[in-house]
Amino acid sequence: MDCKFVPSVCPYCGTGCGVLFEVVDGKLVGTLPLKSHPVNQGKLCIKGWNIHEFVNSFLRLKQPLIKMFGRFVKAEWDETIDFAAERFKEIIEEHGPDSVGVLVSAKTTNEENYLGQKFARAVIGTNNVDHCARL
Amino acid sequence: MQAQVSQWLEEGKIDIFIGYKNLDGHIIPHCFSSDNLNEIKDLRSGREHYALEKVATRIAAQDPDLKIGLLLARKCNQQALNVLYVWNQLDPERIEIIDDSNNAAESPEPGEGELPFKKLMGLSKTLIPEDLEGLSQAELFPRWMYEFSKCLKCYGCRNICPVCFCKECSLEHKELVGPGMLPPEIPIFHLVRASHMAGRCIDCGLCEEACPADIPLRLLYRKVGEIVNDLFTYETGESHELSPFSMLGDKVTLEPKPI
Repeated sequence: MDCKFVPSVCPYCGTGCGVLFEVVDGKLVGTLPLKSHPVNQGKLCIKGWNIHEFVNSFLRLKQPLIKMFGRFVKAEWDETIDFAAERFKEIIEEHGPDSVGVLVSAKTTNEENYLGQKFARAVIGTNNVDHCARL
Repeated sequence: MQAQVSQWLEEGKIDIFIGYKNLDGHIIPHCFSSDNLNEIKDLRSGREHYALEKVATRIAAQDPDLKIGLLLARKCNQQALNVLYVWNQLDPERIEIIDDSNNAAESPEPGEGELPFKKLMGLSKTLIPEDLEGLSQAELFPRWMYEFSKCLKCYGCRNICPVCFCKECSLEHKELVGPGMLPPEIPIFHLVRASHMAGRCIDCGLCEEACPADIPLRLLYRKVGEIVNDLFTYETGESHELSPFSMLGDKVTLEPKPI
């Protein structure tokens, strides 16, 4: 029996509570609040307490889906990225770069959010950058 | 402590030892086994407290034959173990303990940094049941309701509780506690839990520490424990027999002491 505890940060909202994952035989079986974490001081909300459930959920998306003929079809990452890039190019050529907006999120890291706005400004060429909390 | 544990692991007296280690300044629980004997030097005790008994219960449920070693960092750990033995969640013959509770630092005094508003409207975490005896119901009821109304329904009190092990929890039973409301149905949500803590709660204080709404749960469960002790002379965590609230088995144990 291999049992270990892995400290991490709750992925739900932007607060950044410390969590401790209980891993038994390589499977995530429980979530505990990290007592010594300065942000949450050993407390969690119901979403944080149940992180292990969505990680192991059978409904979890493990690969990208492309909507074709009104239905979502499982696809590979390379294929999906090519498809998305192709469609973005078409839309930008036809309607201009301001027809595209980029929404960043509190659930991603600071660096990922930076990349998000960089992608919007430098690659697509728009200032349409907003945050999911304002939706 | 380290030498003792590594000796036990090498001899095969235990298969796994649950203690603490220091990881980047955080004292977190860690399982030591013969596969990672070189990590045994990291084993330490600490004032941070997690419910190691609960970890042991979960491991034992998966593999009942496993011999588990446990670090007792606080006095309540032993009481929690006694309750789990009594309720057949752990087998005392498969548990070895190292008692380090005498060296453990006392847990911080509750109620530090409490807002004055809480003193005015609610109940301070520093109170003990005796403090409430002089107060009238008309005074106490709104105070308790104020505390309960803050509940986020995070189930943290149940999830962290070392003696909560039921597969089906009454708190999630829609006939007992109505679903889909925030705050949950009060005071029934908290009273259902309080009544289930009778004869089980060992007053470790983990629920209160985990409560994001600062509800004085310990005060509530202490009172429940006092009632159990007054009525049935049952000392939760000290006694080696089933609590008077056991409804399973072939004999009824619910017998109040003669008045």
